[in-house]
Amino acid sequence: MWFILPVLGLILGAYLGSTVTFQLPAIYLKYMSIAVLASLDSVFGGIKSIMEEKFDGTILLTGFFTNALLAALLTYLGDRLGVDLYYAAVFAFGVRLFQNLATIRHHFLINYRKKRSLRRGEKSE
Amino acid sequence: MNKAHWHIPITIVFLFLGILLSLQFQAQTRFASDLALQKTETLIAMVRGLSDKRQKLALEILDLGNQLRSQMESTQDEKKLLESISQQMEKLNIVNGTTDLKGSGLTITLEEYGTVFYTDLLKIVNELWNAGAEAIAINEHRITSHTTLSYTEYNFDEEVQPFFEEDYMMFITMNHEKLDYPITIKALGDSNNLEKGLTLPGGIMDDLALSNVYPELEKKKKLTIPALHSPSTYFFLNEYTPEKSNP
Repeated sequence: MWFILPVLGLILGAYLGSTVTFQLPAIYLKYMSIAVLASLDSVFGGIKSIMEEKFDGTILLTGFFTNALLAALLTYLGDRLGVDLYYAAVFAFGVRLFQNLATIRHHFLINYRKKRSLRRGEKSE
Repeated sequence: MNKAHWHIPITIVFLFLGILLSLQFQAQTRFASDLALQKTETLIAMVRGLSDKRQKLALEILDLGNQLRSQMESTQDEKKLLESISQQMEKLNIVNGTTDLKGSGLTITLEEYGTVFYTDLLKIVNELWNAGAEAIAINEHRITSHTTLSYTEYNFDEEVQPFFEEDYMMFITMNHEKLDYPITIKALGDSNNLEKGLTLPGGIMDDLALSNVYPELEKKKKLTIPALHSPSTYFFLNEYTPEKSNP
């Protein structure tokens, strides 16, 4: 039951976000969406690193915030410069997101098979 | 892998992710409901609905305006009614002598010489009414429909039987109170008319002069006439309504 605490955190965060009356101006919607994408990528990266047993809390936390901020800032800079960095960020983070998801799925499958073969081995013995 | 080590950072990260996601969700919903992003069909439907609503509201405004006008009229009627009632009240107060009055008029002062009977006072008062007086008072006694003018004979010495007229003291009484000299009659009205009414040749002044009474007349621009000291109360009076006669 290792995932209960993070899920509770997610629910609490969603509740806090819905109670906040602050309304984001429509101009910043684009940058906000990129920040959300970047943070989603960071979160899945963190889950992947847990699966691979290489987890580092500091890397995750710093990565989460800096990725989100930098993604938003770079998109803003791109808008100022006339280069649509928005699509580049969406592409980069999207690809990484799916890769992370695929890795997580692989690990789940490997773990499941290992357990099953172990159980079979126990039964056959 | 230390389990306690990764729980806390992941929870923190998920918390912030939740906040970000719900904020973004809200903002996106708001953005998507923007009119510029709607389909033409829905926009047309919205316009139709809104114009229907507007027509209904315009009708309601008309209706409410009519209601307001009728209410205003009814309150105006009430105001007029109240005004007329209060005017009637004032008139009744004036007539019944329950309020002090002021205005221009005439004063008649009678000093204590000669012989003045209460009938002389009655004559003067009658003459004043005839001449158009609107309110009269004698020595601060207001004259109304209930005023009595009379006289009492008073014997100072009970044991000595009065023999001559001079042994009696005669008092003029008004509303059963003794009238003291000098007797001042105040009358509100057109002072010229009042004076003329009294000083007609062969009139009341000439009559009084025969008995050596020379009243002093004085026109005044400002006169105040007091209210009744004790306004009369009625117990037995009921309004008469004629019975319906059978044909």
